[in-house]
Amino acid sequence: MRHSFTAVIEKNATFHEDFETEPYECAWASEARWFIHVAELEGDGAGLSARVQVSPDGLFWCDEGSAFESMSEPGMYSLAVRDFGGWLRLDCGLDGEDARVRLMIYLVLKE
Amino acid sequence: MALANADIRLSRFNPLPRILAFDDFDDGLHGWCELVGNHNGDLNELQPVFRDMRPAQLSTCTFFDMGTHGAVDGTYSMKLATRPRKFHQAVAIKRLTSAADGLVQFEAWFTYKAEQTFGGDDPGARAWDGNYHPSEAHFGSFTLWNDICEGTTPRDRYHAALRYENTNEEGEFTQRWLYKTGLHPTTRMLREGFDSNQNDVHVAKPDMWAPIPGGDQQLCFNEVPTKVNWHYLRWLFDLSTRRNTELQVNDLTMDLRDIPVLRFEEGYWGINRLLNLCMDVRTTSNVRNFLYMDSVVISADW
Repeated sequence: MRHSFTAVIEKNATFHEDFETEPYECAWASEARWFIHVAELEGDGAGLSARVQVSPDGLFWCDEGSAFESMSEPGMYSLAVRDFGGWLRLDCGLDGEDARVRLMIYLVLKE
Repeated sequence: MALANADIRLSRFNPLPRILAFDDFDDGLHGWCELVGNHNGDLNELQPVFRDMRPAQLSTCTFFDMGTHGAVDGTYSMKLATRPRKFHQAVAIKRLTSAADGLVQFEAWFTYKAEQTFGGDDPGARAWDGNYHPSEAHFGSFTLWNDICEGTTPRDRYHAALRYENTNEEGEFTQRWLYKTGLHPTTRMLREGFDSNQNDVHVAKPDMWAPIPGGDQQLCFNEVPTKVNWHYLRWLFDLSTRRNTELQVNDLTMDLRDIPVLRFEEGYWGINRLLNLCMDVRTTSNVRNFLYMDSVVISADW
């Protein structure tokens, strides 16, 4: 049986600007799936973007190459990733005037 | 003990006769999960201090300068990581119930670290001198604790909490073991107006910790943030007396039988025989703090 683990990376968090998620170690896993549950997204032209980033040490990061489609309304969004090495995070951008987002971010890892 | 000595992975522990759990984090997190406070389905109801306890991680102890450190055996350990924000706390919990009153023992091989920083503004910190490294002053504390309820009548529920305080709230080295003298403010207490700083899950105010007699101890931080040395810890508590018994950390053993353990005045419904084991790490700087567990053994004499 393959191990799996779901980590709540952001829990009911509210952001008013761009942010990166906390580093999460995932060397044991061979596949990952991000979920972003946008509960509220407000502001003129508000939109949320999220790019996957990887790191050799949890300190210095680069883009992995995949990214979520732009999110412009509440809902559940998902993105699968493989071959990510030992660490994962999301680099998230919040566009729009006086934009505000409240969300959950999950990282589902499988051996 | 004979069984423990015959097993190479258990021989570094001293378990009581019945092993309830042997959590070797080389094969998963073994039910150690993120603590979340009480809510009614609306996460806005969570106490501020309980909103962001962070998920545990399976760590390889990998660092920028030397790659993967690994654990005592195998590759993985359980890591709790704070955010890089002063007084942030990461908490993991394992939820059991007790089948009888009696002794329960928690043993672990652990280590702790502050995240590597580079240059930057670190006013007041002693400079690196080739031996001492300012990283040690970035580490706040880690705490082992339980959440016990023998029934539903008042004074059946209590928390025992033992904290290794490396630096105090002002970031000054203290390097000692503490016990708490104030109650963990429950959601119910806060709803009734209890005043709390909301930056420590254990107590409402920082002066609600007191030193354990004979509890001064320097651990092996080992100079830099990328060397980890594993420490042995054994904590024994007694469900029949509602007290801690003793805490051993390497060569220091503290008799805890006279340390008071505060109980809640009100009864709690629906948590009969609750036996939760918890651990946390709390930073006193704007640097991520990490607590690592190579392995944990929980045992009992019942």
